[in-house]
Amino acid sequence: MTRNGLGGCALAAGVALVLMGGTALAEDPVKIGFVTELTGPWAFFGTSCVAGLKLADAQINPPGKRRIEFVTIDNQTQPAQAVAAARNLDVQSKVLALSGPTSSDTALAMYGYAEQNKVPFVVPVAAFPQLTKPGSRYTFRIEPDAAGWGYAIAQFVAKKKPGAKIALVYSDFALMRAIAAGLKYSAAKAGLKIEPEIVFPQGSNDATVQAAQVLAAAPDFVVPIGAGAFDNTLTNQLLDIGIKTEQVIHPFGITTQVKNWGKRSAGSYYGTFFDSNLDELTPEGKSFVEAFRAQNDRPPSYLENYCYVTAHLIREALDKDPAAADDREKFRDAVAGLNTKETTSGIPITFDKNGARKEYMYFMQIQDVDAKGYKAKQQFYIEWDPEVIPVYDLVK
Amino acid sequence: MSNSTIIIALSTITTGIMLGTIFSLVAVGVTIVYGSIWMPNAANGQFFLLAALFAWSASVSWGLHPAVAALLVIGISVPFSWLLEILLVRRFYDVPNRNISYFVLTLGITQVLTGIFSVTYGVWSDQFQLPPIVKGVTFLGPFPIANNRLAAMLIAALLLAALFALLRYHRYGRALRAVFQNREAAALRGVDVRAIYRMSFILGNGVIFAGGVLFAFAYAVDLTVAWTMSVTAFAIMIIGGPGSVVGALIVGMVFGFTQAIVSIFASPTIAAFSYLGAMLVILLFRPSGLFAR
Repeated sequence: MTRNGLGGCALAAGVALVLMGGTALAEDPVKIGFVTELTGPWAFFGTSCVAGLKLADAQINPPGKRRIEFVTIDNQTQPAQAVAAARNLDVQSKVLALSGPTSSDTALAMYGYAEQNKVPFVVPVAAFPQLTKPGSRYTFRIEPDAAGWGYAIAQFVAKKKPGAKIALVYSDFALMRAIAAGLKYSAAKAGLKIEPEIVFPQGSNDATVQAAQVLAAAPDFVVPIGAGAFDNTLTNQLLDIGIKTEQVIHPFGITTQVKNWGKRSAGSYYGTFFDSNLDELTPEGKSFVEAFRAQNDRPPSYLENYCYVTAHLIREALDKDPAAADDREKFRDAVAGLNTKETTSGIPITFDKNGARKEYMYFMQIQDVDAKGYKAKQQFYIEWDPEVIPVYDLVK
Repeated sequence: MSNSTIIIALSTITTGIMLGTIFSLVAVGVTIVYGSIWMPNAANGQFFLLAALFAWSASVSWGLHPAVAALLVIGISVPFSWLLEILLVRRFYDVPNRNISYFVLTLGITQVLTGIFSVTYGVWSDQFQLPPIVKGVTFLGPFPIANNRLAAMLIAALLLAALFALLRYHRYGRALRAVFQNREAAALRGVDVRAIYRMSFILGNGVIFAGGVLFAFAYAVDLTVAWTMSVTAFAIMIIGGPGSVVGALIVGMVFGFTQAIVSIFASPTIAAFSYLGAMLVILLFRPSGLFAR
């Protein structure tokens, strides 16, 4: 073989190697770090979220598209653990973006890391307003902020009965305080009266006496905002003492909550962002509900839907700018510029300059509850701009 | 007196009795174990929760009548405690300063059970509600009270009375009290101290299990209740005097009523730490507890 021949072979081999390398690179999946609550007090929410996320896998990874791979890590419902996992995913696994938390506490811890280290962070389910405080650049929140939920309740009540009196009873958790702050601010603006206002400390288990106080105050509506099991106890004790179901407005209702409120709660209202009983589910939304029900023996709620939607949103951002798959800044810009809809309900998704979403809420009325699920009827829908009330000043 | 005032007054009284009887049951269970084998059972909250969750599984998942589920769970506490006694507890009977060893041991059990609950029940739901034993509502004047809650309250009170009678009048109860007071003297009088240790551990845990089941009938349960109950039971035992069954019984009732009354005259937040504040004040003047021997 001549020198030229050898050189030609070497060149051809080199080109082949580069091409092979290039092909391998193109086939590398896009990794998204999904840090969520698989154990600890919030385990139900994290595992439910992952169940929703997994149902999106087939749709977001059709043949011919670069695969998106979610690297799921348990944060044990601990903020410090969430940050450690985020750092590990960022530095070791070189993920493109972070996602996953369903608790405001763990999400806030990851928020600090993401903003400081310029890692795009798509938060599926966490409602504390400060997650998108002014100046946030890399964080995008799918769920409306909790103070806004309070705004939505006030608008719902004002429509049902102008000038109504609302009894506000809530647990002393950050999320509940935020909802209460939004409701109190918005109620005053809407000409509604809050009386009485009763706060329960964390770990409470009895509300009989306070239910009696609520009854004595003769409110038009009662907004009970409990945490975990106490939410159920509070609801039961209000109904036990004689509060009518039509007077009860729960700010939020996931499937297990509604099922545990039970048949006796038929007639009461709850706020939500997605529900299997919505009037206008898209065909994909209906498929999602059926697939989730088949796998988990219960219909999904907004919690699972947001995790499913998060996967689709990431796919859309990558479809919009394929170069974003290897560049965090481009990915951040692609998400920030999205103008899309939830594939399950058709609700618009756009983000403001802080990463807060154009917000919305449904109010459902429970019709019936049985062992397998429940029936509810959509009664009210509202959309609003995240800063229609001073959310970032109301809740620090 | 207006109907509102009567309703608030009766709700305060019934809440005091409900919480008081449950608190007393759990604290008596903890103090029986502490008084006999010097075990400060840090896992009492997890045992309490275990009972509530088992009862939920038996009634909701397996479809047993709630009363049958309750009896089954309390029955299961016997082999459960016996097994723990054989595998772990009896190994420390002759260890000097064994209360420290027991505390560490039960902290370990707490961790294990916490982990198990987290990956099982914690994944299945965020709250657990037992079906009622009895349906319907009873009116005490203008005050409506759920029959289920009334039943839980009565059963708890009857259990406390039975426990008191057992410890006061039965041969086993007298032997147990003898061991509480002076185990060497009890042994010299022919009491099988080790058998009493074993029985105390089984009885104490059985009472805690009963408390957990009754609590789950009256209230919805989530995994955080274990911690709340554990702290409350220890506080009651310390104020009542470690090892004093009467102290646990009385202080448990006082705690229940304190929580109900303070929550109406101040706020539920102040009520939640009022009894812990009271504990600190009492310990300043009676470091060994109100009913310490």
